[in-house]
Amino acid sequence: MAQEEQKQSRRKFLFSLGIIGVIIIAVVTFARDMLLYLFPPKKEKKFHKYLVGKRGEIAVGKAKEIKIGKTPVYVVHLEKEYKVFSGICTHLGCIIRWEEDKGRFFCPCHKGIFDKTGKVIGGPPPRPLDQFRVEEEGDLVFMYVKNKTRGPWA
Amino acid sequence: MSVKNWLKERFPIDYNKFIEINENIFIKEPIPNHMKKWFYCTGATPLILLSLQIVTGILLTFYFVPSPEMAYESVRHITEDVRLGFWIRGLHRWGSNMMIITLLLHMTRVFFTRAYQKPRELNWIIGVVLFLLTLAFSFTGYSLTYNQLSYWATTVGTNMFKQVPFIGHWALVFLRGGEEVTANTLTRFFTIHVGLLPPLILLFVAVHIIILRIHGVSEPEGFEKGHYAFYPHHFYKIIIVTLFLLAFLSTLTVILPPGLGTPANPTVTPFHIKPEWYFFPTYRFLKLVPLSVGIYATAAFLVVMTFWPFIEPLLAKTNESRRRWAFSVGGLTLLITVALTIWETVVL
Repeated sequence: MAQEEQKQSRRKFLFSLGIIGVIIIAVVTFARDMLLYLFPPKKEKKFHKYLVGKRGEIAVGKAKEIKIGKTPVYVVHLEKEYKVFSGICTHLGCIIRWEEDKGRFFCPCHKGIFDKTGKVIGGPPPRPLDQFRVEEEGDLVFMYVKNKTRGPWA
Repeated sequence: MSVKNWLKERFPIDYNKFIEINENIFIKEPIPNHMKKWFYCTGATPLILLSLQIVTGILLTFYFVPSPEMAYESVRHITEDVRLGFWIRGLHRWGSNMMIITLLLHMTRVFFTRAYQKPRELNWIIGVVLFLLTLAFSFTGYSLTYNQLSYWATTVGTNMFKQVPFIGHWALVFLRGGEEVTANTLTRFFTIHVGLLPPLILLFVAVHIIILRIHGVSEPEGFEKGHYAFYPHHFYKIIIVTLFLLAFLSTLTVILPPGLGTPANPTVTPFHIKPEWYFFPTYRFLKLVPLSVGIYATAAFLVVMTFWPFIEPLLAKTNESRRRWAFSVGGLTLLITVALTIWETVVL
């Protein structure tokens, strides 16, 4: 009799364990799916080839602003090469501007300053400006910039 | 059958008991004598303002459209076309500012009278949470107007979350609804502002008041002991404050109506950019130090402020030296905050 009771209680225990387990799995899966709904999937970065212009178009030491979608990039003609910088400040994401007379980039949000090679020369930005790949083909200069699809959600 | 009996049959509660409970909880609530001074009544003011914010906020949602194309335009429509729209929007805008001012006053008062001491530590922490919730309200609400300043405040503000260790990137994606500020960000901020934060703040306000009522209002030293009933003295005081606030906020709205700014332009950050005044100390501080220092120092300050009632007893044994600690830390905080705010106000 005593044994039977024990058996029963074990069965009961396993039964409730099963039920609790199933409920936990259901809740976790439900919560997971809700979170997936809230977090958009990470898009793979695609780079697109853009024509910057003819080789001599930008004078040495000068920069040209090109708008890709919403955000600008800056093409700088350094003495030996071309460089393409993202127009987004590495501090907190404001749009930098090229100051022609001073030959530097300036971010109005927290007064971050970058020189024409993208290096931080003043203010709080933690790292140099992000760069994109540049290719020169014959007389033309191309850049590989993140593809920006236009639309309200991108 | 009378209406009262009809109701009693369908809603059978002990009516006399109900009146008794009501009398005990509200009408006869013992208010300590020092509360006759206006300076000690700063706690009810944010609550009155919160109610006003809820009313004006609901009214604003009748016309506001949370989309990049329509947000700025609908705010303009409310301000310029809708009958008395400028008034409702002005009340909401000035009400939010006033709520922060009164909360700062309330917190300063509670801190310097050291009302957070045992056994009221939890209520101080809930108070800090309420203050942070109010800042979250302000930040999300400010972003909804979708002008240049608010757009870039959203960009910079959400970017700061990225610096939080481990969960930073997730927090950023959660708030923005993607890697960048898009239409998703606006709808999210709208949902957080009108759907998530209100029940949360009401819950915390309820707990704040329940704890306050259970312990009773703490009595600062130097006042004659004794209590008086909530009704009529304190009740009418609250009515007076409410009427004053309505008149004051309306006057502010007429004299200094909130502007519209220029529509948000994601391609250009305006040259002169400033957040709302209550973020001035943080903003100035961020300009002075490297980003990670700025974030960690702010976080550390918040942690110390939140758990101050538990930190203070660790610093000293006697009440007198604890008081000295509190006054020094509080005084220094006040000094630095005011100094940074003035600095940011004066310097472009």
